[in-house]
Formats: sequence, C-alpha cells, structure tokens
Amino acid sequence: MLRIFIRFIKTYFLWELLRGLALTGSRLFRRKFTVQYPDEKTPKSPRFRGLHALRRYPNGEERCIACKLCEAVCPAVAITIESEEREDGTRRTTRYDVDLFKCVYCGFCEEACPVDSIVLTDIHEFHFEGREGTVIDKAGLLAIGDRYESSIATAREHDAPYR
Amino acid sequence: MNFLQFSFYLFSVILIVAASLVVTVRNPVKAVLYLVLVFFSAACIWLTLEAEFLAIVLVLVYVGAVMVLFLFVVMMLDIDVARLREGFTQYLPAGLVIAGVMVAELAVVMLSGRFSLDAIPRPVGRGADYSNTRELGLVLYTDYVYAFEIAALILLVAIIAAISLTFRRRGGTKVQVIAEQLRVTKADRLRIVKMSSEITDGEKSQ
Amino acid sequence: MLEVFVEIWHSLPLVLQVGFKIAAILFPLLAMVAYYTFAERKVIGYMQLRVGPNRVGPRGWLQPIADAVKLMFKEIIIPTNAERQLFLIAPVLALAPALAAWAVIPFTDTLVLADIDASLLFVLALTSLGVYGVIIAGWASNSKYAFLGAMRSAAQIVAYEIAMGFALVGVLMAAGSLNLREIVLAQAGGFFQWYFIPLFPLFVVYLVSGVAETNRAPFDVAEGESEIVAGFHVEYSGMAFAVFFLAEYANMILISALTVIMFLGGWQPPLDMAPFTWVPGIVWFFGKLALVAFLFLWFRATFPRYRYDQIMRLGWKVFIPVTLVWIGVIGAAKFFTPFGFLFS
Repeated sequence: MLRIFIRFIKTYFLWELLRGLALTGSRLFRRKFTVQYPDEKTPKSPRFRGLHALRRYPNGEERCIACKLCEAVCPAVAITIESEEREDGTRRTTRYDVDLFKCVYCGFCEEACPVDSIVLTDIHEFHFEGREGTVIDKAGLLAIGDRYESSIATAREHDAPYR
Repeated sequence: MNFLQFSFYLFSVILIVAASLVVTVRNPVKAVLYLVLVFFSAACIWLTLEAEFLAIVLVLVYVGAVMVLFLFVVMMLDIDVARLREGFTQYLPAGLVIAGVMVAELAVVMLSGRFSLDAIPRPVGRGADYSNTRELGLVLYTDYVYAFEIAALILLVAIIAAISLTFRRRGGTKVQVIAEQLRVTKADRLRIVKMSSEITDGEKSQ
Repeated sequence: MLEVFVEIWHSLPLVLQVGFKIAAILFPLLAMVAYYTFAERKVIGYMQLRVGPNRVGPRGWLQPIADAVKLMFKEIIIPTNAERQLFLIAPVLALAPALAAWAVIPFTDTLVLADIDASLLFVLALTSLGVYGVIIAGWASNSKYAFLGAMRSAAQIVAYEIAMGFALVGVLMAAGSLNLREIVLAQAGGFFQWYFIPLFPLFVVYLVSGVAETNRAPFDVAEGESEIVAGFHVEYSGMAFAVFFLAEYANMILISALTVIMFLGGWQPPLDMAPFTWVPGIVWFFGKLALVAFLFLWFRATFPRYRYDQIMRLGWKVFIPVTLVWIGVIGAAKFFTPFGFLFS
C-alpha cells in the first residue's frame, strides 16, 4: 500500500525526470574533456600512419631498390613504380608515385619494404587546394623523408622493441 | 474618411475578395487558406466594433483549430478537378435556382426594415475600462443560462454520438498498455550474470 | 537635457511613437533570439562535457553573428513543383505571430506596448496561428518528408494548445482577469503568492505543453532527424530557413515570458522586502525569463525523444484531464468552500 502511494507521488511529481535533470545539471559544472585542437594536441603513437616518405641511408644514398613489393602489396593500388639500371649497375626507381586519394593508409607498404625505404610518417595535417598535387612523385617523397628524417628515426626506434 | 472607416472598408474589401476566391480558386488547399483570410478579416471588422472577445475567439477557435483540421483533411485528399467538373452544366440550372432562392430570402430579410440603421442603433463607444468579455459572461450565465447550458449539452451529446458512431473495435489490432509498460522495473527485464573476464582452467575443460 | 528628449518624444506623431516602441521591443528580442541559440549550444555542450562553440570572437561570442551572415549569403532554393508563393510566405507566417504576441507582454507595471483588456486571449489566439507556417511549409515544399513533419507537428500543436489553454483558464480563474498586467499584479507580495504554488499541476502542464508546442526536444518528432530528416523545413535553405529558426526560438522565449507572467509573478521580486525591492522589476522579469528559457535547454540536453503515439497520449489523455480536474478544484474551492483564498 505504502509502496503504491510512494509510486503515485513519484509519478505525479515527475521524480524520475527530476533525477535525469539532476544528472545533466551536475555535468554542467564538471571539467570538460574537449581538446582545443589546433592549440592543444593529444600525443600520437609512434606507429601513427600518416603522410608517406622515402628514406635515405645516412650516407645520402636512397634506400629504395625498386623491388616493387610495396606496389604488389598495396590493397588500394596507390603506388606506381618504374625502374631502370643506374650507371653504377644498381637497380633504382625512375618513378615512384603515391596517389594520396587512393591510399588507405594501411601501412602494408612499410611492412613489406625490405630496406625500410617507404615509411608512413606521423604527419596528418596536410591538404590539397586543387586537383593537382594529390599524387606525390619520387622527388617529393624523398624531400619529405629528408625533412622529417629525425622524427621518422625516433618513431622507429621507439617502436623497435615491440616488433 | 477617418481611420475607423478606412479600416472597415479595407477589411471588407479583403474579406469579399478572399471570399470570392474561396469558391473560384482551383486548388482546394488555397481555398481553405483564403477561408482563413476571410475569418481573419471578419475578426478584424469585429474588433472595430469593440467586440474584442468575439473577434479573438473567432481567430482562436475557427482559425486556430477548425481550419487547421480542415487543412488536414484537404491536404490529404487527392482531388481530381476534371472529374468534379463533369456534371457542371447538368447541375447548373438547379444550382442557379437554389442560389436565386437564397439571395431572394436574404433580400427579403434585409429589406424588411428590421436591419435598417433606424432599427439597430449605432453601438455606443465605451470607455477603456469596459470589459466586453465580462459583459458577455454576465449575460450568458444569468439571462441566457438555460439556453447556454442546453446548447453545451447538445454539443456534448453530438461529440459523443460522433465518436460512438465512427468508433469500432477491429479484431487483431495490437494495443499497448502504457500503465503496464510504466510499471516495469529493472528487475523484470534485466538479469545480471556474474562471470570472470578470462576463461579459467575449469571452464576450458568443459 | 532629458526634458528636451521628452518634449521631442511627445511632439512626434503617434504612428512614429508606436513604431519606435515596436522597434525597441523587436530589436532586443531578435538579439535575444540570436544569443539564445548560442546559449543553447553552450549549455548543451557543457552538459555533455564539451565546451561548445568558442572560435568566433572572444569565447565564441560572435558565433550567432557568423551564423546569421552565413545564412544570409546562402541561396534560397525553391524545389521544383513547389507552390512558390506559399513556400515563401510560410516562414513569415511562422515568425509573425511569435513576434506580434510581444505587443501585450508587460515587462513591468508601466512598460507594456498595448495594455489591452483581453491580452491573455490575444496571446492565445496568436500562438494558435503559428501552426499555419508549419502546415503551409510542409505542404508547399512538395516533399513527403516535409509533409509528414508538418502533419506531425500540426497534430501536436493543436493537441497541446488545448491543454495550454485550459492551464491558462486556471490562471484567469485565480486572478479574475484576462489582462496580463492585472494577472501579475494579483501575484504581488512574495514568491508564496505566485501562482505556481496553488496551481502547481497547471504550471507543470503549461511548461511541458510549452515545450511540446514549440516542437522542442523531447517533443521534437516534427523534425525527428532520424526518421524524417528535418521535418517541415527540409526543403528550406538560407534566409528562409533562418526565419523558421528565428520563429522557433522566438516562440520559446515567448512561452518563457508567458510562464513567468502567469506563474512566476512577472516583474515582482521574490520577497517584498528591502534588498529585493531595490532591484528594478524589469531585471526580475528578465532574470526569471532566463531561468525558464534555461529549462528548455536543460530538457533538451536531458531527455530522449518521445515516441509519437505517446506524445498524443500525454496531450489528450493526461494533460487535458489534469487541467480540467484542477479547474474544477479551483472553481469549487473558490465558490463553495472557505479555502478560496488559497487560489487568489
């Protein structure tokens, strides 16, 4: 009897709705979780897969040997490679294009590469302002590699114990 | 011509134009909307007669509720104008005769002198503290209380009759009992099972 | 210096005086509407542990202006086979009643544009007109989603208007007047004189019906995004959409103002004592208005959307009987028992 009475009172005074309001009301004063993105950034994993780069050996020689494993493994067929024999008799690429619109950033190319040449850097803030520029050629990839070599190397070093 | 006369003629012109559009316009939805305009202009004319209660109630009841339901029905209908016009010439004579009779009747009533300016004196302007609503209420609930209550009762009977005539229970319809739904508690619907997050050796062997 | 202005004011023709008064109400109202949208985004953000818009201007204060500018420069697309005139008239029909009703709202004892005798009825009549904008928009768009949204919204508005009207009948029985100013004056003398205490069921019904009437969450099935995209204004873009948006928020502020006047004592201070009476009445009025307006946002941040048949059930089978019973209680108490003083 008392229970029915209490339920009656609760229904008419909208008890459960008030409890819901109390919950959201208390959240009004909590600390907010929002990351103010361009000003604040969350830490990124060393395994982060962003923009592509081609690396060089410390002596300046490019690593890529045009084995075309990356081209073969790429699920999105984003990589195009052509190769030729260089004067010194080694096999090198004459063309190494990555179509960034096709790429799904899976990182298989990096996994497949026997000489750690193609890598995915942690750069994710890049954009295009036109139809052109969505395909990066070999020179561009090498330039990115040269520019971010130190951060690429530290990321690989951090990740090494877990591979 | 003072402001009052100007507004009277303005609203009258709008009213008459809208009323004639109600019957001539082809689209039924637009006809209903013109009818709304008619009611609204009529309410404005009543306002100039200091009948603010009636004017506002006209807007509130007819424009705000009745016409909305009208619009509802008309919008849902798929009216074929061509088929409606099929028997137009056939029924025209009968329609004209009926219209003529109605006009004649109205003319007889209007010209009988009961509605002339002498028979109905010009309404006196009241002060600002005169409440139309209060006066109307006083008259309704004292002098005409029986008529008023009987009218209310007839309306109530009409509502119930309309509902009971159209209301039928069909078999096989599914109904929710909201009170039962509300009475449900967590214990009725949810069973919490305790289990460890990893498979223990004992469970593996099974 | 001040006398000069007063003299200039009195020398102006009446039409101009009224025009200036209307402008003095409308422009702050529209600014309030703009910043109400901003407040909504901020409050709901805060309740969801986010920070809300904070990029345009200091702490995001210019966000509504940026929104308005964006909407103004967008193209108004009129769908093929839409009723052109009705399509364009509909947003105006939605906004006009929401603004016109402010003519009779008393901000303080003396500050009211038109102190008419039946102002309560006037407000009721005007709010009942708002539904036309919705219906016409839905029909003229020539789109099934818009039409469904319009049907839902119209049925909902008509249903809840009755409950609202009955709740107000209770207020006018308690106050014995149809004049909004006199209704507030009848609540003078501290918060225990305000009508929300003796008329508590009607207060709740009015507030909830107000939320339903303005098609706000949790009663926003008219624009239920998950089912019918955006309801009656799917086909609207640019400024035409903005006018609908303005109408919705203007209606919310109007309902808040009416709640304050009917149940929360209008411009009266909560206690008729020294520190409270120092604050001018208009501050109390807008303070209470902000409180009720905040409730609208709080509801939206808290409750999930009602199912449509339950909305109809709540309106017809719960609210209308509750109001009718309480009106009967007030009437009986006032005229047959010595407890009538409780309700006046």
